Amino acid sequence: MLRELKFLLSLWKTNLAAAMEYRAAFIFQSIGMILNDAVYFVVWIIFFDRFPSIRGWQLTDMFIVFGISASAFGMAGLLFGNAFNLGDIIVKGRLDYYLSLPRPTLLHVLGSRLAPSSFGDFIYGFISYFGSGQFSMVGLGRFIIGVALATIVFVSFLVLVQSLAFWMGTGGVFTSMAINAIITFAIYPITLFNQTAQVILFLVIPAAFMGAVPARFVKDFSWSTLGLMLLGAAGFLSLAILVFHSGLRRYESGSAIQTEV
Amino acid sequence: MKKYHAIFKINLLNNLAYPAELVTRSALILLFMWIFFQLWSITFTAAGSDNISGLSLHDTMWYLLFAEILELGRPRLARVISEQVKDGSIAYLLNKPYNFLLYQLSSGLGESLPRMGLLFILGGALVWTMAGPPPDLVNWPLALFALAGAWLLHFCINALIGLSAFAVEEVAPLEWIYQKLVFILGGMLVPLDFYPAWLQTIAKSLPFAYMMYGPARLFVRSDLQFFIQIIAGQILWLAMLGSLLGLVFSRGMKRLAINGG
Amino acid sequence: MPAIQVTNLNKTFRIKHKTAGLGASVRSLFRPEYKTIEAVRSLSFEMECGELLGFIGPNGAGKSTTIKILTGILFPSGGDVTVLGYVPWKQRQKLAYNIGTVFGQRPQLWYHLPAIDTLTLFGKIYEMEDRETRRRIAELAEAFEITDLLETPVRKLSLGQRMRCEVAASLLHKPKLLLLDEPSIGLDVVAKQHIRDVIREMAKKENVGVLLTSHDAGDLEALCKRVIIINHGQIIYEDKVSTLKRSYLTSKLVEVRYAEQIPADFHIEGTTTLKVAKELYGTKLRFDPRTTPVEKVMAGLSAAGTLVDITISDPPLEEVIAAIYEKGASASHT
Repeated sequence: MLRELKFLLSLWKTNLAAAMEYRAAFIFQSIGMILNDAVYFVVWIIFFDRFPSIRGWQLTDMFIVFGISASAFGMAGLLFGNAFNLGDIIVKGRLDYYLSLPRPTLLHVLGSRLAPSSFGDFIYGFISYFGSGQFSMVGLGRFIIGVALATIVFVSFLVLVQSLAFWMGTGGVFTSMAINAIITFAIYPITLFNQTAQVILFLVIPAAFMGAVPARFVKDFSWSTLGLMLLGAAGFLSLAILVFHSGLRRYESGSAIQTEV
Repeated sequence: MKKYHAIFKINLLNNLAYPAELVTRSALILLFMWIFFQLWSITFTAAGSDNISGLSLHDTMWYLLFAEILELGRPRLARVISEQVKDGSIAYLLNKPYNFLLYQLSSGLGESLPRMGLLFILGGALVWTMAGPPPDLVNWPLALFALAGAWLLHFCINALIGLSAFAVEEVAPLEWIYQKLVFILGGMLVPLDFYPAWLQTIAKSLPFAYMMYGPARLFVRSDLQFFIQIIAGQILWLAMLGSLLGLVFSRGMKRLAINGG
Repeated sequence: MPAIQVTNLNKTFRIKHKTAGLGASVRSLFRPEYKTIEAVRSLSFEMECGELLGFIGPNGAGKSTTIKILTGILFPSGGDVTVLGYVPWKQRQKLAYNIGTVFGQRPQLWYHLPAIDTLTLFGKIYEMEDRETRRRIAELAEAFEITDLLETPVRKLSLGQRMRCEVAASLLHKPKLLLLDEPSIGLDVVAKQHIRDVIREMAKKENVGVLLTSHDAGDLEALCKRVIIINHGQIIYEDKVSTLKRSYLTSKLVEVRYAEQIPADFHIEGTTTLKVAKELYGTKLRFDPRTTPVEKVMAGLSAAGTLVDITISDPPLEEVIAAIYEKGASASHT
């Protein structure tokens, strides 16, 4: 386990070096993304100014949930950037490169890219939390834990959706839909949704684990909330690893894609 | 004129042959409309009134549908054009016996029209079941007219952003911010009518209101005076943005001729 | 123990067959049609440690499939394979520590970074000590003459320079077996020469076995002692390269020039006249030395006039190989 962590660290270092080759673009994109997120949030400020509470959900909650989601999204892109193009990598047969090297395939693939602009999202999440009016140092600690666990759920979800490419060829369509769906659901107030819908947001498109639950944790520490987050992260992570490796078996049999003979 | 019609047609057919994009956008509009309904029905209930700033829940939902159709239906020309500028293929396109901008316009239209049509049918069906039948037919012609104007405004800005690839390495941040400005100042997630008065004034002095709010609002409640206001605004902004576009384009062409792409 | 042992390998692919059009797409969703492709059929061969083996065949012959099975990326439909004592698809990670791969079409070096960054990362991937990695990089840099290139971003290197770095990277962890797939593709003549020389030297110095697949017969001649020719998933020829040339030598080309003109209908029995020079000062002909004695041809040529210039050549290796492809399974030579 430690071996792989050391390996991941060197991988991340290499990613950073590659991003720094285009320093100006990196900074421009990061700042652009911060502005993008901030400007988008203004709509919610306008909304809550007019309608202060949606079944108990208020602007403060919005700040926090936005913070968690943005930072989790950013962290996913910074550390596991290939989670966003895994489907493409599978379809183009580029897994071969990772398979011929002696490191765990999934980890190696995911960690081999730093998605540009994700730094902006990551930073913005913290800015959003600072702006929530609920900021405290202890809260920040909980925020960081929340972001970490949300990232695990998000990346796992991406791996799950992208792994469909092993069976369906171009999963590209599905992926962008799934990403849009989870982000949208994560940032909209969970109080909007009835019981059935909420179940979906926990078990199918785990937006609740990416927004509402960590946000609850940040506001108030609670063992049960922490337990729920850990459960969600562990559950989705295991499922993702399982599905990916099942798909990998198929890839290795050659029936997944059009292979060159 | 015939050649642009041909370009338009081929893009139209291409869209139908590769339905991936259509499927994604269609799924998204269903998702968004459903979430919006949750949000606004609860908001109207909480506000304790059938009518907020002159709009009912029914009006709001159809307003939002119209806005989303434009947002999801419009072609992502900024990215297309910026890529053509960056990889130099724009030079190849300029050698053809047609105007580059008109080419982009026709192909964008071919892509956009069937998509908007499908989005209207699917999204409309959902909104009908949730909020009631669409607005009176009498509203439609004026709204569609304004829609055309709005589409053209989007086109101008998109083309400008795409062409800025001559000066800037990454145009994506510009795209994001433009989209978010449309969200806020075009009243995409929250109708402008709900905004505080001072913000409404600002919004109406910028092009974004004419790109989104105008047609959507006309769809819901047509009013000849309002229509004239919107069209006048659109013409004004089209004139300004259109000439800016022309200027930037010829400047870019000169640059291309000097640098050889 | 041989480095590679392949016995009765076969691999069949079942690929979904889909024609264009919306109707066909919908149909294929509900009732998919499958096409069976037998990529490799009952293939058997061995390779010794430290050997230089060439693996040649036209597109679709089954080369890539075989290589993928050898590296453990693909598992076969039947047969047995051991590479360096491992079953590739079952012990892929262990095998990976001992083999190096260079795929001409799939670069390993990170495009935007200098080669040294990828090499350092590879050191981590193969769990080498930092000091060992540095030492090894210096050693390889000298051998491949890339010391000055290491700090330049890979995207700024020429293809030849990049390939040298790629091959160096594949040798970083001192593998016992090197698999090269089209290493010289796209390179100019000088770069090809350069890379072949350095591969050959490194292979000898470090006792690395090299399995080379290529379309380029020049790669073959320069690097390999033995060659396996594969087509339609089967081996159709397997022997030393030198034997290949000798036994398939079915023609010699002779080009001559005379001091005076020769008759327009000049012909030597048993040869094919390819061309008679316009001014009738020379001719080019081809003959099969197995049926027409060289002595006879030479005698006929010198009798025709005062020879001023003569060129005798063997057919290029490409022709030999092409002829073998055509003959196919019937010309199996083991």
